[in-house]
This record gives sequence, C-alpha cells and structure tokens, in this order.
Amino acid sequence: VLVLLRSPLPRLRALLQCCWGRLERGFLPGGLGGQNPPWGPALAVQAPAVLPQAADDASESSAEAPSLLESILWMAVPKKRRTIEVNRCRRRHPSKLIKVKRNIDVCPECGNLKQKHVLCGYCYAKVKAETRLIRMEMRKKEGGPFKAPTVETVVLYDGEKPSEKDEGKRIIERPRKRPSWFVQK
Amino acid sequence: RWLPSFNLFPLSCIHTSTSLQKTGKWEKKNRIVYPPQLPGEPRRPAVIYHCRRDIKYSKDKMWYLAKLIKGMSIDQALAQLEFSDKKGAKVIKEVLLEAQDLAVRKHNVEFKSNLHIAESLTGRGRYMKHIRYHAKGMFAFMKISRCHYFVKLVEGPPPPPEPPRTGFDQAKEYVQQLRNRTLVHTL
Repeated sequence: VLVLLRSPLPRLRALLQCCWGRLERGFLPGGLGGQNPPWGPALAVQAPAVLPQAADDASESSAEAPSLLESILWMAVPKKRRTIEVNRCRRRHPSKLIKVKRNIDVCPECGNLKQKHVLCGYCYAKVKAETRLIRMEMRKKEGGPFKAPTVETVVLYDGEKPSEKDEGKRIIERPRKRPSWFVQK
Repeated sequence: RWLPSFNLFPLSCIHTSTSLQKTGKWEKKNRIVYPPQLPGEPRRPAVIYHCRRDIKYSKDKMWYLAKLIKGMSIDQALAQLEFSDKKGAKVIKEVLLEAQDLAVRKHNVEFKSNLHIAESLTGRGRYMKHIRYHAKGMFAFMKISRCHYFVKLVEGPPPPPEPPRTGFDQAKEYVQQLRNRTLVHTL
C-alpha cells in the first residue's frame, strides 16, 4: 500500500485536491514537464487510497477550498504591461543614477587618490605588509600560542640600539632600513 | 583629383571570419585612416575606440556606470570608478586604462590626461540559460547575462556641460514654431 503525503493540515489537502483535479483534466501545476506518461499508472494505483479520504474531506473542507481559490483572485496583480517608456522613466530617474562623488582627494604621501574620510589605500597596504612581517618575527620569538610577554615591545631596525628607556622591554629586530613613516620616539 | 574621404581596408578581410562569430564593428573603427590635413585646417583631435566583450555583468547595471562617466575627463572618470562599489566599476577602470595606454602608444596622443570620454555605451552579450531549482521539485530557467562595454576617447579637454533647458527656453522655442508657420493654399 502506498504512503502519500499525509498532512494533518486540511488546507494542504485542499490544495492537493485542486492540483489533483487539474492533473486529471490534463493541466500540470508548475513546470513539471516530461512526466505525463509515467504518471498514468501512478494515478491508477494511488486513486483508491486517496478517493475515500477525498470523499470524507470534501464535506469537511468544502468551505475552505473556494476561499483558497477566491483569495488568489483578490491578490494584487498588474493590469497592463508596463511600456518601455514608463520603464525608462523609472530606471533613468535622477534618484536612481549614480551620484558624482565630491570627496576624492590626492594623498600627500604617495600621490594616489583617497577619499577624504578614509585612509589612503596604498599607504595602508604598505603599513599592513610591514606589520605582518613584524608579527611573524614576534611569533618566531614567542614560539607558540598564549606566550605573549607581559612587557612592552620595541621594534628596532638596522643599526639601531635599544636606548635607556627600553630597559625591560621585548626587542624585535627587523633586518631592514627604518621606513620613513615609522617614527622612532 | 581623386581624394577619398577615408580608405577602408580591402574587403577580403570581412569574409575571413566565420558566420557564427560576430565581427566587432567598434574594433574596426580604430582602423579608419584620414588623408593628410591641409595646412590651413584646424587640427583634428585624436579619437580612440576601445571595447571589452562578454563581461559577466548585467547590461542595465553597467549602463548606470556608463552614464556616470559620459562627458568626464579621463582622470575624473578613473577617480569616480575607483571609489564606486559596483562590480562593473573595476572592469570599466581596466578598460579605460587600456584605452589610455593604446592612445599614448599607437594613436599619437601627447598627454595621457588630455583625453575625455565622448561616448560610453553598453551592449547585450551572449546570454546562457540555466536551470534554477526551487522547492517541491519545481524548477525554472534563469539566464546568465553578459554585456559588452564600448568607450570612445577623444583628445582635448572635456566639453562644457550643456545648461539645462529652462521653461523660458521652451517657451521661446514654442513661440518661434508658431511664427514659422505659413498659410498654405492661400494668396
């Protein structure tokens, strides 16, 4: 014996009955193309299981089935096709066009373009690359997770020696010239 | 004397391409050759046509960027595109930089900043259909859209923008139309 979609919701059953009726009449619900012939024997086999229930439910849900159909008629639906002229008026309205940005300046450091309220992308990338190398050196020194020292860190470049203020601090060496933007205090 | 307005390449070039491939008309526009100018004529500004085909973007969405750029100088256009959040902005920026490079190397343009965008258009590329799966075994066909982008760079500063049409101008034109009317089939 076959097992059908046995949902307790009578609404779903009413919907299934509508689809069922449409199928029997030959209209397919949705784009289920190419399955017409195989459905024939399936219909014949499934019918006795469904029809007795359908007979019971028809009396129960007769009031609900028309409401489902009627609610479809009350839905908001376009009455006429929107012409290309109307579509163009909407799509090309000034509010939909991209506005010209007036907050673009030249970065005084590197000469690339930057937005006024945002850091320069090129300079930020430079700093990011250098910080990444410094962090790699720190990782090598620490040798594992959760081993960060409790003291401050000082980054020293080629030819620089730790001053008296950097007594108890952790020193990270970078084998290159000090970049101009990294000011030493 | 016989002086043609422009010399087209020999016709045999057209027939070498296959029938399925569309010959790009925009690319051919770069090949026209004008006869040398007479000493009294004003200098003809250099014109560069460039395009990119089959960009994976919608032509309607690309049109907004093309509309933004129309009539700007190339530097201003590059600045606007750099800080635009659209996907097509990156593509158009590459196209503009390529065109600027072409202009300087092949089309005898002296200053790469002395270019402005005369025309920028989008066109529909080849669409593909694909199945899109919905719930309950339903499916639909979606189309994967592509677009082309065309740009025409002209040497020289950008032209001043046209003043918007006021109501006074429209009224003047209307009155002029009324005055131009003549009486037909009368004395």
